[in-house]
Amino acid sequence: MTAAAIEARGLGKDFGSIRALDHLDLEVREGEFFGFLGPNGAGKTTTVHLLATLLRPTRGAARVAGYDVVRDDLQTRRSIGLVFQETTLDRDLTVEENLRFAARLWNLPGRVAAPRIAELLGQFGLLERRRDRVRALAGGMRRALDIARGMLHEPRVLFLDEPTAGLDPRARRSLWELLQRLRAASGLTVFLTTHYVEEAEPCDRVAVLDRGRLAALGTPAELKRAAGVQSLEDVFLARTGHPLAEPSAA
Amino acid sequence: MSRRAVCGIVARELIRFQRQRGRVLASLVRPFVWLIFAGAGFATVFTGAGEIDYRRYMAPGLLGMVVMFGSLLAALSTVTDRDAGVLRMVLVAPIRRSTIALGKTLGATLLGTTQAVMVGTILLSLVRLWPGPAGLLLAFVAIVLSSLALGALGLLLAATIRSIENFAGVMNFVVFPMLFLSGALYPVRRLGPALHAVVYLNPLAYGVDLLKHALLAGWTSAGYGGEMPVALDVAGLAAFAVAGLLAAARLLGREEGVTRAAFRERD
Ligand SMILES: Nc1ncnc2c1ncn2[C@@H]1O[C@H](COP(=O)(O)OP(=O)(O)O)[C@@H](O)[C@H]1O
Ligand SMILES: [Mg+2]
Repeated sequence: MTAAAIEARGLGKDFGSIRALDHLDLEVREGEFFGFLGPNGAGKTTTVHLLATLLRPTRGAARVAGYDVVRDDLQTRRSIGLVFQETTLDRDLTVEENLRFAARLWNLPGRVAAPRIAELLGQFGLLERRRDRVRALAGGMRRALDIARGMLHEPRVLFLDEPTAGLDPRARRSLWELLQRLRAASGLTVFLTTHYVEEAEPCDRVAVLDRGRLAALGTPAELKRAAGVQSLEDVFLARTGHPLAEPSAA
Repeated sequence: MSRRAVCGIVARELIRFQRQRGRVLASLVRPFVWLIFAGAGFATVFTGAGEIDYRRYMAPGLLGMVVMFGSLLAALSTVTDRDAGVLRMVLVAPIRRSTIALGKTLGATLLGTTQAVMVGTILLSLVRLWPGPAGLLLAFVAIVLSSLALGALGLLLAATIRSIENFAGVMNFVVFPMLFLSGALYPVRRLGPALHAVVYLNPLAYGVDLLKHALLAGWTSAGYGGEMPVALDVAGLAAFAVAGLLAAARLLGREEGVTRAAFRERD
């Protein structure tokens, strides 16, 4: 077996009559920065939740960090960090309390958690705000805290589900720089979903998802070359027959 | 089973509770409001006045009420956790659903017990009820067991109802019937046979009955003490706690619990 960080074989999910994800074959390598590009409703969140064991596949199978997501759900969850599309912080707790709560859920003993929390607070620019309630933080800082919490237990694979959605351009840029630094430092595998082509552009490889189907897969350069176009936006148009910006759901 | 995770969930409940000043105050004041107003009203129609002062008779029921509001509502806060997204974060932690259910229920138990003990110290001296060490110990056991059973039930409700909007429904169709069919305000033997049968499905009834055994032992022969055997009370509470925990653990892992909220927010 290869050392794939993520491996999906014919993975699919239906919600009643809605086919949210059709039949996904995918391999993400260890240390890769992988982009999952698609419009709203394409099935990005569904895919992330399947890979994170939060949903049961309707068909197919997947392994994350070598673990079967259905059979070894606890080990899978132990190996991953997941930043949900919407924030999942407790607004009534302070920044530090949120991290300590997570540390206990991830079974980190205090002597491991304390220095790790201090390190993350520094890294994510939250040191001064550590005793503030999350309620008092601006959107960009909350997002940073969400990601810091996802990194707390040093996961092998980090899932980021549209991490910059809802942020203003400045907060988006600073979060983006933070992600780049983080990745350069740790060699962590990152699975990032987005509906912005600018965010897919710097990825090692990009999968283009539309209406639950994989429309294209490759490095940004390969995708553009194969489609004979100049931008990932045009790749999307060429592969799906409709523009990325418009909602694809009927 | 991760002990650390259970502790983390319990600790979070405690932090949240002590930050909600209004909730703390309401839970401590509510029983005394009942003692004064409901006590005054019911005392006038109470037929056992020759045997026992009505406010004294009410004391075990009021403690049961504190437990119910404290523990059931604490566990129901899981609904808020789901709406705020916190539940999703807990569900993606490498712990079993049963660990989450246990943490939530123990947190609720701790809150219900603490509130009942605080209210109890004042209440018992107010109505001049001195049950002695054995009675006090049994009362404490009754409070802990009831908190556990009602916490488990609250969690089960939280796992079943979809959103905070159903909260009012829970109050009307669960909390109030439970209170009025618990023996907290009048002996249940006075209820007709149909309602009396329902009492056996009410966890609070076992809790209040056990509290009466503990606190009103001197009035048992007059018909104002416990009405069911102590062993039945304990077994009833234990059964509700275990069944509630098991069912809630199963339901918490249901897929909609995680994805529904995300799905709804976008529409
Ligand atoms: N819990 C759910 N129940 C029913 N339908 C769902 C649920 N979650 C997602 N869907 C549907 O599945 C499709 C894919 O959704 P999603 O994975 O959230 O897309 P994306 O994250 O790319 O915007 C959409 O049509 C959405 O309406
Ligand atoms: Mg999504």
